[in-house]
Amino acid sequence: MERSSQGLKLPEGMRDLLPAELAWLEVLEGKAIQICKNWSYQKAATPGLEYRACVEPDANKDDSLYKFFDRNGRIVALRPEFTTPIARMVAARYKGGLFPLRFCYSGDVYRNDASRYREFRQVGVELVGSGSDIADAEVIALAVEIMKVLEIRNFQLSLGHNGIFSGLAQEMNFNPKLREELEDGIARKDMVKLESIISQSELPDNAKELLLLLPHLTGKEEVLDQFKGWNHVPAIRRAVESLRTIYVYLKDFGVQDYVTLDLGILRGFSYYTGAIFEGYLPGIGIPVIDGGRYDNLYSDFGMNLPATGFAVNLGIMSGQLSDFEVEKVDILVYGQSPGAVIKRCRELRKGGKKVEMALGFVTDTDAKNLASGKGIAEVERVEVR
Amino acid sequence: MSKNFLTIALPKGKLLENSVQLLTQTGIDCGFVEEDSRKLMFDLPGSDARIIICRPTDIPTYVEYGAADIGFVGKDTVVEQNLDVAELVDLKFGYCRFVVAMPEETKPPKLGDGSYDLNFLNHKRAATKFPRVAQMFFSERGMQVTPVKLHGNIELAPRVGLAEMIIDIVSTGTTLRQNHLVEIAPIMEATTRMIANRVAYRIKYERIQGLADTIREIIK
Repeated sequence: MERSSQGLKLPEGMRDLLPAELAWLEVLEGKAIQICKNWSYQKAATPGLEYRACVEPDANKDDSLYKFFDRNGRIVALRPEFTTPIARMVAARYKGGLFPLRFCYSGDVYRNDASRYREFRQVGVELVGSGSDIADAEVIALAVEIMKVLEIRNFQLSLGHNGIFSGLAQEMNFNPKLREELEDGIARKDMVKLESIISQSELPDNAKELLLLLPHLTGKEEVLDQFKGWNHVPAIRRAVESLRTIYVYLKDFGVQDYVTLDLGILRGFSYYTGAIFEGYLPGIGIPVIDGGRYDNLYSDFGMNLPATGFAVNLGIMSGQLSDFEVEKVDILVYGQSPGAVIKRCRELRKGGKKVEMALGFVTDTDAKNLASGKGIAEVERVEVR
Repeated sequence: MSKNFLTIALPKGKLLENSVQLLTQTGIDCGFVEEDSRKLMFDLPGSDARIIICRPTDIPTYVEYGAADIGFVGKDTVVEQNLDVAELVDLKFGYCRFVVAMPEETKPPKLGDGSYDLNFLNHKRAATKFPRVAQMFFSERGMQVTPVKLHGNIELAPRVGLAEMIIDIVSTGTTLRQNHLVEIAPIMEATTRMIANRVAYRIKYERIQGLADTIREIIK
């Protein structure tokens, strides 16, 4: 059978990882996972396919899922992220578990949108069952430690809080139209639109001021002083106190210098309920880390558990940082007798060497050329005695 | 390159002059930047920045990928390209309107309120450089009109039967009149915007927001 020319192509957004690229990615992945394990996060894996109902963010909106039918006609989807599948896993398998639970993961996620890669490697953690500030601080500190162990310089972590926006929305009882408009403006990061709908809304002046100010509150702990006039709104007071506490803990963790407070991280009416954060690298146009507290997700799965976590987009970073070589083979073995060559290879491998076996007889010159072409340090000719 | 180094993407064409003028007013010394020189990149060592000149429709792409930190581009292009960029300031110049237009002789009947009966447009084709804007406009109204993407000289399409209507930007309306086209319905208004890469906006917040604030003061 002859494969058609279609057989050479890849679906849009897909790519191969050649040995050098994969080796690099796996080194980064290994380092990141090791740190997570040192922090008592156990590695788990969820399947590549889930029911759409599990992973779709909002049934009424466009999503970026790759969807298929299973044999019973139900819609399944490739996982677009790990947080929701892990919530499903915990709800199904850890009833009565010893909370808080700590999981880490590493795997490919799939997004059917026009972004650069539609399949990319994520490493991340979920800390399930603790709603305390120290839990937030722990995952943020861990995110910083991962960036440090990956030797990524110049990264910046920005820490914000979704509770200020949602607290205000609740307190002011935003009408559905305003909610929808704000949501759209936030999703598009359209400050021009946000400004105009906020200014034209019927909200009281102080609420308008706060909403307009949020995207510009960035710096160290002094930015939190801007909320002094809002102590009477419990959700806002809690959010501010919690950011303050987290920020102090980050100092104890020794990572405060890497973290900027930034209330301009806007996630609108998303599933995030508390502290949220993003990691940035100069030259990469999208955040390389996304994370935050999501205390309502587990209730979708019938379990009432606060949780926080983050995901690192390892794929995009490895592409940016790479200049890596695959591990070299130590020795090329060749000779006239296949049996003797096999025997010698087995001995050498038992001794811990990386060994390439010549398939069939090659001359001494060929062997040398082959070895130098492949970067193999030694050659060994096996003589039959 | 300092941490705050800015790459600024400016659109070639009719918005360039206004953009350069505005940037010069903010104190970025770039008066010498012009389109005719065939140069596409201008270093501004005194301002810790550089300017790149791009096709207007490409500006959101440069900014989304972070190849440019900020860009000046029409809202029409921002909407059509629909990319992940932050939109910071309405620069107020380059005003234009998106409209549906048809040949005088085939225009639909009017309704009681004086507007044209858009029902008449169903199952017809609309030639446009902005298929996404067109699709959004029609589908939001539950209408079934097929956009036909063209890259220029849209006015030609209805004359040779490629489409019954066009969707295009008009600033004065002269082109429409010359081609015996009449405006059937307004779609949206657009002016030039300053957009920013979402990560650059956070990493270089002070520099970018500072520029945005200065611009806001100037155009007030």
